Amino acid sequence: MPEDLDPVIHATARLRVVATLAALGEGDELSFPKLQKLLEMTAGNLSTHLRKLEDAGYVRVTKTHVGRTPATYLALTPRGRAAFDEYTAALTALLKGAGS
Amino acid sequence: MTSPAPRPDDERPLDPADTLRVIQEAQRRARAGSEPDARLLYATWGAAWLGGYLTLWAGTPTGGDLPAGWAFAVFTVAMATAVVVTVVHSVRRTAGTRGVSARVGTLYGWSWFLGFLAQFLIVAGLARAGAPPEAVALAANAIACLIVGLLYLAGAMLFDDRPLVLLGGWILLVAAAATMIGVPGTYLLMALAGGGGFLVMGAVEHARAVRARRAGQVPDPRTSRA
Repeated sequence: MPEDLDPVIHATARLRVVATLAALGEGDELSFPKLQKLLEMTAGNLSTHLRKLEDAGYVRVTKTHVGRTPATYLALTPRGRAAFDEYTAALTALLKGAGS
Repeated sequence: MTSPAPRPDDERPLDPADTLRVIQEAQRRARAGSEPDARLLYATWGAAWLGGYLTLWAGTPTGGDLPAGWAFAVFTVAMATAVVVTVVHSVRRTAGTRGVSARVGTLYGWSWFLGFLAQFLIVAGLARAGAPPEAVALAANAIACLIVGLLYLAGAMLFDDRPLVLLGGWILLVAAAATMIGVPGTYLLMALAGGGGFLVMGAVEHARAVRARRAGQVPDPRTSRA
């Protein structure tokens, strides 16, 4: 596998997280339970990957309250969206290179 | 049996083709899980219009200018059922989302409610002012369709949904033609052309979804949002 693919995204679990958040419009967020349901990951596993994505500046984590219940919302940052676009462009280029 | 089965969340690197498939599947799931299914909504409204308006047409006595009460009751139940299906489905699908799209969607929902509240009061006002029964029936249908057609056009602009432009424009034309024809032909045209329009849209959406999946491309979230 080439070395120039973004290592933060190039792990299946985090790739799925980023791809899911990239499917939303800019300015849209998903709640933690909703994201967990879409990805079918355990809460602990998802939290671990989200922390890595947040540390890289790709994901914005917003903690808030709905009534008295704490709620967490997740969204891609502009930087995360750009990284995802670059990643898919690099993949597509690799596929085209392999096919010719 | 010694090597562990690959898990979807392990960190093993994939080849580019597999990786693109992972992205595509994640995005398909994300949209299917957070946006209403247009096919279900079109099918629901197509069935409601076809069944409801055909009942109004069949329920109008020969030479009469209004459908019988039972026909109006069936029509009302058909419309109310479609409203409940639409609201429950949309609220369930969009639960757990927040931000621009959620706000736009909520305002769009309220626009429908306010439009039909006004329609109800306007029709009641026309009846109170002594408009003839056929005129009240025609106005009720025409105003309702004006709201539907214009809000579909608004939806096409808000959600960048090109097929919805066709449906909105079609409903406006059908409503105008149906009003010119007069009762009971109004209801037959509404059932066939209006209800049929929804069903055609459902088929178009289904074909679009199948084509997108077969093409195996990564859809661009900014152009393919239904």
